[in-house]
Formats: sequence, C-alpha cells, structure tokens
Amino acid sequence: MNLCVAGEQCRQAKLTYSGNFMVDVHFQYDDGFIVREKINLGQFPIMLKSKLCQLRSANDPKKLVLLKEEPSEMGGYFISNGLERVFRLHILQKRNYPMSMVRNSFRERREGYTNKAVSIRCVREDQSAVTVRLYYLDNGSARLGFWIQGREYLLPVGIVLKALIETTDKEIYASLTCCYNEKYDGVMGSVGTQLGGDRAVVILGELQNLSLCTRAQCLQHIGEHFQPVMTGLENESYSIIAEALIGDYIFVHLDNNIDKFNLLIFMLQKLFSLVDKTSVPDNPDSLQNQEVLLPGHLITICLKEKLQKWLLKVKRGLQEVADNKTKKFDLGSLTAVLICNSQNDRLLSWLGYVSNVTAAGVQKFIEKNSPKQIGAAIANLVKTGRLDTQSGLDLQQRAGFTVQAERLNFLSFISHFRAVHRGASFAGLRTTSVRKLLPESWGFLCPVHTPSGEPCGLLNHLTTTCRITSYYNSEGKIKDFFKVRMSIYKVLVSIGMIPSSPKLVLAGPPEMLHILLDGRVVGSILSNIVQKAVSYLRWLKVSATSLIPDDLEVGYIPLSIHGAYPGLYMFTSASRFVRPVRNISVCAEESNNIELIGPFEQVYMEISCPDGGDGGRTDVFPATHEEIHPTGILSVVANLTPWSDHNQSPRNIHQCQMAKQTMGLSCQSINHRADQKLYHLQVSDQLHRPQLCAQRHEKYNIDDCPMGTNAIVAVLAYSGCDMEHAIVLNKSSVDRGMFHGYVYQTETIDLTQQNMKSVRSQRSFGRSNVDKSSHHVIDSDGLPYVGQRIKPNEPYCSIYDEITSKVSTTKLKVSEPVYVDYVAVDVNKSKKPMQKASIRLRHPRTPRIGDKFSSRHGQKGVCSQLFPDTDMPFSGVTGMQPDLLINPHSFASRMNIAMLLESIAAKGGALHGNFVDATPFSSSMKKNSKGSETDDSNSLVDELGSMLTSGGFNRYGVEVLYSGIYGTELTCEIYIGPVYYQRLRHMVSDKFQVRSTGMVDQVTRQPIKGRKHGGGIRFGEMERDSLLAHGAAYLLHDRLHTSSDHHIAHVCSLCGSILTTSLMQSRQQVVRDMIGQDLPPRTTPKKVVVCVSCQTSKSMETVSMPYVFRYLAAELAAMNVKMTLKLSNRSGGA
Amino acid sequence: MEGVSYQRFPKIKIRTVRDDFMKFELRETDSSIANALRRVMIAEVPTIAIDLVEIEVNSSVLNDEFIAHRLGLIPLTSERAMAMRFSRDCDACDGDGQCEYCSVEFHLRAKCINDQTLDVTSKDLYSSDHTVVPVDFSDSSTGFDNTENRGIIIVKLRRGQELILRAIARKGIGKDHAKWSPAATVTFMYEPEIYINEELMETLTLEEKKEFVDSSPTKVFDINPNTQQVYVHDAEAYTYDDEVLKKAEAMGKPGLVEIHAKEDSFIFTVETTGAVKASQLVLNAIDVLKQKLDAVRLSADTVEADEQFGELGAHMRGG
Repeated sequence: MNLCVAGEQCRQAKLTYSGNFMVDVHFQYDDGFIVREKINLGQFPIMLKSKLCQLRSANDPKKLVLLKEEPSEMGGYFISNGLERVFRLHILQKRNYPMSMVRNSFRERREGYTNKAVSIRCVREDQSAVTVRLYYLDNGSARLGFWIQGREYLLPVGIVLKALIETTDKEIYASLTCCYNEKYDGVMGSVGTQLGGDRAVVILGELQNLSLCTRAQCLQHIGEHFQPVMTGLENESYSIIAEALIGDYIFVHLDNNIDKFNLLIFMLQKLFSLVDKTSVPDNPDSLQNQEVLLPGHLITICLKEKLQKWLLKVKRGLQEVADNKTKKFDLGSLTAVLICNSQNDRLLSWLGYVSNVTAAGVQKFIEKNSPKQIGAAIANLVKTGRLDTQSGLDLQQRAGFTVQAERLNFLSFISHFRAVHRGASFAGLRTTSVRKLLPESWGFLCPVHTPSGEPCGLLNHLTTTCRITSYYNSEGKIKDFFKVRMSIYKVLVSIGMIPSSPKLVLAGPPEMLHILLDGRVVGSILSNIVQKAVSYLRWLKVSATSLIPDDLEVGYIPLSIHGAYPGLYMFTSASRFVRPVRNISVCAEESNNIELIGPFEQVYMEISCPDGGDGGRTDVFPATHEEIHPTGILSVVANLTPWSDHNQSPRNIHQCQMAKQTMGLSCQSINHRADQKLYHLQVSDQLHRPQLCAQRHEKYNIDDCPMGTNAIVAVLAYSGCDMEHAIVLNKSSVDRGMFHGYVYQTETIDLTQQNMKSVRSQRSFGRSNVDKSSHHVIDSDGLPYVGQRIKPNEPYCSIYDEITSKVSTTKLKVSEPVYVDYVAVDVNKSKKPMQKASIRLRHPRTPRIGDKFSSRHGQKGVCSQLFPDTDMPFSGVTGMQPDLLINPHSFASRMNIAMLLESIAAKGGALHGNFVDATPFSSSMKKNSKGSETDDSNSLVDELGSMLTSGGFNRYGVEVLYSGIYGTELTCEIYIGPVYYQRLRHMVSDKFQVRSTGMVDQVTRQPIKGRKHGGGIRFGEMERDSLLAHGAAYLLHDRLHTSSDHHIAHVCSLCGSILTTSLMQSRQQVVRDMIGQDLPPRTTPKKVVVCVSCQTSKSMETVSMPYVFRYLAAELAAMNVKMTLKLSNRSGGA
Repeated sequence: MEGVSYQRFPKIKIRTVRDDFMKFELRETDSSIANALRRVMIAEVPTIAIDLVEIEVNSSVLNDEFIAHRLGLIPLTSERAMAMRFSRDCDACDGDGQCEYCSVEFHLRAKCINDQTLDVTSKDLYSSDHTVVPVDFSDSSTGFDNTENRGIIIVKLRRGQELILRAIARKGIGKDHAKWSPAATVTFMYEPEIYINEELMETLTLEEKKEFVDSSPTKVFDINPNTQQVYVHDAEAYTYDDEVLKKAEAMGKPGLVEIHAKEDSFIFTVETTGAVKASQLVLNAIDVLKQKLDAVRLSADTVEADEQFGELGAHMRGG
C-alpha cells in the first residue's frame, strides 16, 4: 500500500485516508506453472498509527507536530471523507467455550425441543466464527444446530458423532455415561445422573431408526442432505461433501475430528447436566462468558468474505472461458488463505493468494470483475458502519459498527476508544436484565461510566487498567499460538494431566475434571490435584522465563453442589478482557508479581482490596491476589472526578457524562483541523489546572487540554437568581475572560459534486465585478478575507458560473456575527480553477444567560444572571468576591459531598501554593500497619481544616461576607472557596428559538417548525389543556387561531360550501369597461364573491376560521364528501 | 419624621498610602455611605482602556479577539481620565472616538526574527499621548527584579510570526466593562471592638490561655510574655468568624471576651490596578459620588440638569 496524502490533508480536504490494496493472486492450471499476478483491489482505508501509517514512525510529539497532528496523537481510528471514525468495540459470546443456556425461544424451533441448549462460538484462526448449538429434545436426544449462509440446519447428534470418527455404539454409550458413577451420587461436584444412560440409548436408537451404523453411512446421509447448500462441491461424492461440511461448519476451531468428537461428548455431558439441574446455566449477560469484537478482526472477517466471493466469481468466470474453448479442465479446489494479523486495534497486514487455473488475459478478465470493489466495501464499512454481507458473519447486527470520534474535548475523544457496546440488538429489548451491572464485570467495565437514559448499561467503558488481548504479546511480537499451546500442553502433562489422545479418560467430575484449552478437550486431571496445578500455572504465568504467556486465562471452575459445570478451561486467544492484579502467593522478589487475569477466572479467584483487611474471608479461602489500586475499577473519565468516593453515586455517573460535554481545549492542532464543529475554551495555562486533581490527572496529561477554570464559588442564596439548577456568574470575571470560548465551524464547499450533477453549469469561485455590495467581505477569489467579521445574512462565499455567467453567494445562516478563522483550498493538479474550499468560521462565545456550567460533581446549572462586581458579596478581610454563586439547596438533594470538600481543599491548596491530591479511595490503600490509629483520627476534614487555619482562615471553609448591594454583613457565614468549573457545550446561542412572523406551511398556512428555518415552537395539546384549565379563552384563541392560520373564508349560506366561492369583478365594473373611460373611475373597483354552484353572490357570508379547515373541506371533497356549513348568528341556532 | 436631620459629617483618617494601596478609616457614617463609596470606586471612577483594535497583521497563535481582549485588560495610566470626554458624547469628533479629547491612539508592531520566542508585552505599545501609557510596575518598590520585569505579556511570537495593530483607548467606567475598573480590591469591614473580661481571663491557666489565643485563625490576641496576660494584639485582624467566642463557650467561660462591630466606623482597604493612584481613586470616587448626589438633588428638573451637567448627565442617567 502506498500513501500520497497525509492524515491531516485528508481531514482538511474531506478525503479518505487510504492506500492501494495490492494482492498476489496465484493461478495454477492443472499441475502446471504457478502464475503470480499482482492485482489492485482498490483503496483500502488505513488506521492512523498502524504499521502502514505515516505517523507510525513519528514517535515523539515534535515530529507529530511537524506533521500537523496532535502532539499526543494515539491513532487507532480511520479518516473517512474527512471524518474521524472509530470502530466501536462490541461484546460477543466468549469464543471456544461451550456455554449452557436456557432460552424459551429454543422451544419454538420445532416440535419436541426444550428450552435448553449448549452453545459454542467457534472461531477459526482467521477470526471467522461459526456458532454451533446443541439442543436438548424432550425425548432425551439432542440436535446439533449450525449456521450455513445465514440459515440454521439441524442434525441429530448421533449422526454427527458417528460421522466424525469411526466408532461404535458401545464407545459412544461409554463416553456419554462416564461422568456418572453411583458412588458419587449426591457428592459435591457430581454432574452425571443415571438418566445419561437412557439418553445415550435414545441417541443411538435414532441412528438405528435411520439404519445408519457405520461412519460411511452417516457421511453418506449428511452428504445427501447438504449437497444443495455446499456451493462449489456439486460434483463431488457425498462423503467428500460431508467431510467438507464437518470441516467448514462444525467446531471450526478444531482441525482434528477426534478433538471434535471429544468436544461434542463434553458438550452433551454438560447439556445433560443442565437438564438434570446438576449444573446451572451460564449467564450470557455476564462478562464471564463474553469477549470483545476488535476492529481488526471485524475487518478481517469482512474482507475474507469479500475475497472469497470475488475469487469464486473469478474462478467461475475463468472456468466458463475455459469451457468455451472446449478444453478439459480439472479444477483444483479453490482456497483462499488469508493471514491476517491484527494487534488490538492497531494494524492490519494482508496477504491473499489463491491457486487456480490460469490462462492468457487473466489480468484483463479480472479487471472486468471489478476487484476495486473489495477496497471500496471496506471503506464503506468504515464510513457507514454497515456490514454488507449475506452470511451475517455470525454477528448479531449489521449496522452501527463505526461511530464518529468527536473531539469535543480530550475525554470525549478517548472515551470513544474505551467504550464497549453490548450490541444494537439489545437496545430494543424491553427487559432490563442485559443492562444490569453484574459483579463479574468488576475491574473490567467501569460501574460509573455509562450513559443515563436509553443506552444505559449497554454502552459501558473499559476501566483504566483493563486491556484486550491481541495477537501480540507484551513485547510487541506476534504470538505463535501453536507453540504456546504446545508448551501449555507439556506443562499440563507434567503436572498430572492425562492427555485425551489416544483416548479420553472415561471418568467425570467429581473424580476427574476435563481440561479445555481454547475449546479443545486436551485431557483430564484428578480433581484433588487441580488446585495445585492451577497455582503452578499462575506462577508460570508471572515468571518471565516460561513459555506460558502472561495473559493466559486459567479458568478453574471448582466442584460445587449444582453450581457451574466444573472443569479447567484455559484460553490463550485474542480479544479477551484482561486486567492486572498482584499475585500475593508469588514472592515479590522472585519476579514481577503482576498477573493478568480475565473475567472468566476472576469469578473463582480470591482478590483482596489493598486496605489491609481480609475482606471477610475465612482462613479456608485466603486471598491469593490483591488489587493494585482501588481506582482500577474506574474508567479514565470516572477516575478524574476528585474524591468521587464521597459523592452520591448517580452524581459520579452524571459527571462522567458532563465531562464529555465540557468545552475545553479540544485539540492543540486546531489550526489544521476542519471539523464541522469544534468547541474551544479560551484558556491560559496555569489558571485552568484544577487545584484539586486525582493521580490519574497527570498520567493522562489532562493539563495539555484543560477543561475548565478554577472559580471562586460561594454557596449562598443571594437573590432569586441562584435557584437550584441555576448559577449566578460574576459579570466582571466574565469581562476579564472567565469561561470565554469559541465554536469553530467549518463549511466545506465542493463544486465538483455540484458540477457533476448538471452539464449546464461550470462553476468556480469568483465574485461579481458589477455588484460591489459584498466586496468588503469577499476577496477577488470569491472567498472571504481571513479575520473578516461576517454579520448574519451576509455572504461569505461567492460562486461564479462560467456558462450562465451568474454569481451566486452563500450566506451565513447564523444568528450572531462570526469571524473567518481560516480558508483552505484544495488545489488540484490540473489547470482547472479550484473547486473545493473549506472555510472555518469562529463564533465567539462569551458566557451569557442561559449557558450551562457544571462542577466536577454532577452539579450542573444554567447561568441565570450576570452580576457585576459591585453587586457580588465580598469578604471584608480579603476583599475577595466570588466568581460564581450557587444555592445551598443544591447540595441537600444531590449530596455531592466531594464538592464541599473540593472547596475547602482547593482553598487550602491555593493558600499554600500546592495542588491537592484527590484520588478516590486513597484511604483504602493504607496498609493496616503500625500507626494506623493516629492515621484514623486524622480524618480528611481535619487535615484540610488545619491547612486553612494556618493560612488565617476558618477551618470549616466559611467566611464572613458583606452584601455587595447593601454593604451590610450577611447574617450567616458563607461557604466559599475555589471549585473547578466546566463550561458545557450547551449554549443558548445554539438553542434559542424566537419568532414573531415568518414562513408558513404551504398547505396549512400554519407557522412552520424548526429552529433552522425560523419556525415556531408548537403550542401542543398539553399546552392547550393548560390554557383551557385556566379558562384563558382569549389567549387560547390568540395562540391557536389569530397567531396561527387565521383565515377569513367566504361561505355560501345557501349551499353551505366554502369551496364553491369565487372572486369576480362586479358586473357594474364590467359594464363601465364596455362603455368606455368617460366616467371618472371609482376609488376602488369592487370585487364580488360569487358562489359558483348557486350562481349568486347574495348569500355570501364571511366567516373567520383556521385555514386548515378549508384544507379539510378540500380533502374531503377529493374523496367525494361534501362538507356543509350552516351559518347562524346565535349559537345553537339553525 | 419631617424636619429631623440625619445629617452627619463623616471623617476619614488615612492610615497607609502607597501608589497602589491605601488603608483608611471612615467614621461617623453608616454602611450605605461606605458601600456607595466602595461601589463607586469599583464601577464608576473613569479610567482609560483600549477599546478599539484594528489588526493589520496577526500571524500569532492567538486569534484577533483574544489579543484585543488582552489589550483591553492592560491598565493604562489614567490621571487624565476625569478630564477626558466619553467618546459617545464628544463634540469634537461626533462620537467616533478618534480625537484627542476622547481617545488615545496606540501602535504595536512586533515581529519575531530569530529562533528565540519573542514576548510581546505592554511595553511594546506606543502611545500617542505620553500621559496615557501602560502602567509600569517596575518602578514601584514591589521587590521584583526590575531587569526581568518587561510589562504585561500580550502574546508570544515564534520565528516569522508578526503582529501589527492600531488600538484606540477610550474613557470608560467599570460598570460598562471590568477593564475600566481602576480598583483591584476595594473592601471594608466594620471596626471590631474587643473587650476582654480580665477577671474571667485570669481564671484560665497559661495552657488554656494559649489554647484560647490559638483558637483564632488570625492573630487577634496574644499573651504578654512578661505578665502572661492575654491582650488584644490586632483587633482588625479579627474576621468576625466567632472562633474565639465558640472557644470560650467550649471552655465553659462564656463572656470571656466580648466583640462588637462598630456600626459607624469602617476600615477601608483599597488596591488599584495602577491606572489611578490609590489616593486619587478615593478622591475621584468622592467626586463622582458628589456629582451623582447632585444629580439626585436636581432630579426634579432632570432635563435641565442633563444639559447643565453635560457629559456627566449621561453618566448619571446611566447610574
């Protein structure tokens, strides 16, 4: 892939950041020479900072700045038509783990099905997945369901068992019943029951009924039934078709039929145990059974499908060509092998090849089959987030895979990369169980950072410490999964595992436990040594020397009484959640004791909080692991709320949302950006660092993009204006620049698109030489002067049409004057005049009444008044005046204690010239060691209080203030101190809607809606009810009639119609016209309204009515319904 | 009520005067007068500040409005302000604000030509009137290193960046925009009267006395090291925070000290931005206050008053 345009240019010119996608296609005819052909598959989007991105080499901020990028650019997104788009992470079922589930919808599948099944999502090495389900039937048998081309096919499990390997009924019976042993009946951990034998008989009986005894017969049976759906194998024998079916659709993560057989037996055992209620179903909503869909994997499987389809098409075409030449062809089977590596979400590298027939002019033939569609398809996926696929790729949804990464501020930007969505299919569900915060997600998904409202609980965010495993190990090298598995296998054998080959041990829990490694039954282990084996594996995980990867998941489900199905499940695969914890059973000196654990194993682990306590554990289950820091359970944004452990929990949730809506320094490369809308707070460097910040603040360089101001906040009821949900700002502070901000808006004008539509015009930028009215704004090139102030309804761009030689101007549709910040033009290589221009406009936004502000504790409020300095209360001692007033009632209902603490702590910090650390849960980090008693008495408030007293202030943060209006001392002491305040993006300037007169609807003549078009606000049903209740009839009439579609209609009282009236000149006038112009003309020639159907004007009356009434009459008339009005002077009269 | 005169004759006693700082007592009046004086000082004493900026070249990182705003906030020496005209009612220039009676022109021309970052400061502003210049802080004995002090930074320029502009400063008052406010801090407090109940105090041990003295966050009381008596060290340091009263209560000795606020005497602290000298600010404030009162007295015939007072009439209407 080669690149010619930089990312920054793509953003400005609204292009897609992409490169040429070249593949090598190998053609082979019979066993002849292999011909290699390089084929261009179109423009493929490139992720920023991926291996192929230009920014990859720019590691230090200076280089990035030279490339006109953010100094802290992290990449991970695509640029599609100038917009930055990220792939959203989606939750999927955990791969290669047989999950037992109970779902009522299974019953509706067919007659005889129960609601129980075991489901496994098998994922191949190339990330394509096929889900296989094992359904339980009422008669004790089971059906294996798998998906081909988006349709589910069901096979009796016995056929599959027999088709997989050469086996006997006895063997199958033995393996199905092995997990039951009479002596363990009722013992903890026993899962098998007597019924297992009966079911095995039923399963084998089904085979008997179909008279299928041998493997060959089963394959024949399968092949016969599936021949139509297996494309490309029409001419093959049934057994080959059956083999291909098993290979392509059943347990695709395994390549060995014995392994498949073993896994199927295991799944049957698990299913029977679920039916017999000796084990509970797995919860599909719990993070334990989930993994995440990574962008690289999604692109890989999408591309795989596209390539396969295309190759098939090419092959067919070539075959046809070959057939026409009456040559004999023996086509080798078509294979498309894709080796795709994708790290987390960073990079993609591709290699596609195919062996096929070749002939002369292949290149030309391929060109005909539009290979460039493939690149375009991926680009389209990035652009729209929609998957164009027929098979569905084993995914739950087709749309919504990408979202635009808004750079409203830094936090909102990074939140896009940390967000995990549960899936669009869950958004519409009426049940709320999927939205629940489950304990399994502890440490992986932030409990605080989720939106309130519609996507609540569905859109979660990864915690700060959570990572996703990938194809790359911690050193950045590609993992060799085969090697890894082999070494794990060796270790397992060495610690007492009995391997599954040549034959699986015929025993089950509680005596033996199965070991599954990435969905393969590798063997069994005695249940009394498994605990030791697990801790040995964990030790190997953290030790640097072993080949065991550090992100191996050792999911040991212990024996329990009717709990989860026991076993040892190990996962090495990519796209699992992992997080670091401290393994305290490993000596710290020995090696690093930080172990990566996954949500599957976490459930059965003993992890303590580092507060020194035992967390209520008994000595039987001592803690083996310890959290590194309690804030590890919070997301990046939630971590930045100071002392969030002191707040009422919903406040923290609100703050997470508001932090993302804050106007801040959105980016430092603002001069090179052309976002449609960019919010920017005018900040100076030091003033805008919160006096109080969490440890994470520094870690994430939040100082690089400040998001608010330290404002002196006084908590008092000073006027009616500081109600709850409202604040009062100090006008003088605002005059001096507090909370000043800008909205940058970029208008991109692309004439090429407009020119393409019609041949009639050839347009370019240019201004009129005749009309000089806009020359003060627009330069001779048709574009505005940089720095020019443009008032509403003034033009900012002028376009000259060469063919019609007309000049049209683009007018500003905003309500406030703006400044031209920047004009960029796209200079194309040809000599044509420039066709594309981006004009960035700057809207200055000084705070005004109606703008929204918020502290960092979910305490938002609208500015209700700007008080001048003189009216603000002042401190008699220091002369300090607050920048902002809030009402004390705001605290009573919201209970955001941390805001009160922030006020004191920041005041103390300001007095002593230091920043106060406000990391939440820091008290939980104190080890319960000596001197803890003295620590305890020294509570946070005491600590802060002494900071204040040493600075000469009251220890409780209150001060005596004087009224600025009366000059008298306020009767009580006022709580005052600096609090970091954020300005939110919601501003009245974008929202206010006002109308006196204006456009009306064409049909109804009622005022139109919509702020953009100068419309009104609907006076709706409820508003009408309210006026009715007040008896405000006149007002109601005014709103609904006079100010709406008031209309005076002429009604014929004879026929009662309002539609038959027509305006005619009076007869006298007509007569006079004929006579001539002798008579002096009357002052106004009178016009008469005549009823056309009655042919008279005598009976005409005028009636005032809403215009829609006439419209109704007309509509009814169109349906042949006549509406007759009966007119009278009295109400109720005839 | 009629005929009763509440007329009082306030007295001012000046304690400290520096160029930009002043502390004085205002006695024999009530809080309304004190507050009126404070409000006038903050919002209605006129100064000169940059109001119009014409930017010719600006290739700096800050946008035009940002620079204009920063220029506006630079304090300019405004001794002339009282005598100047508001440009809105200037006869000489029809209110377009470009004549010597109502405006002062400034020029700024800066370009960075080397690799070192160039700080454009208030000292780079060239005034057309030598009496109206950016306030120079270096000559005040603030203890700062004078060689380092280069005025107020407006913008920093990198190599190749340039800033050329013309600015017009006008007379204005703090009510219109905070940039015209000459006062950095104006505050007053009631003068506290502190009585120590010596009898009760003597019942305390030295430890208790120390505890009592330390209970106030500010140093109001002290212990005489010789006599070990508690005495009022600095009554005005008292912030009316009632800490000592609470402490006395907690010690079981209510009435140990009595503290009253003298309702008719105030201690003013005035700090200026440097635009006007602190002493001048107070005098100007009194002048403005007087004129406002005159306007009230003449309000019966407002129209004539307006004409009589000329520019001040509009000023007063605004108030």
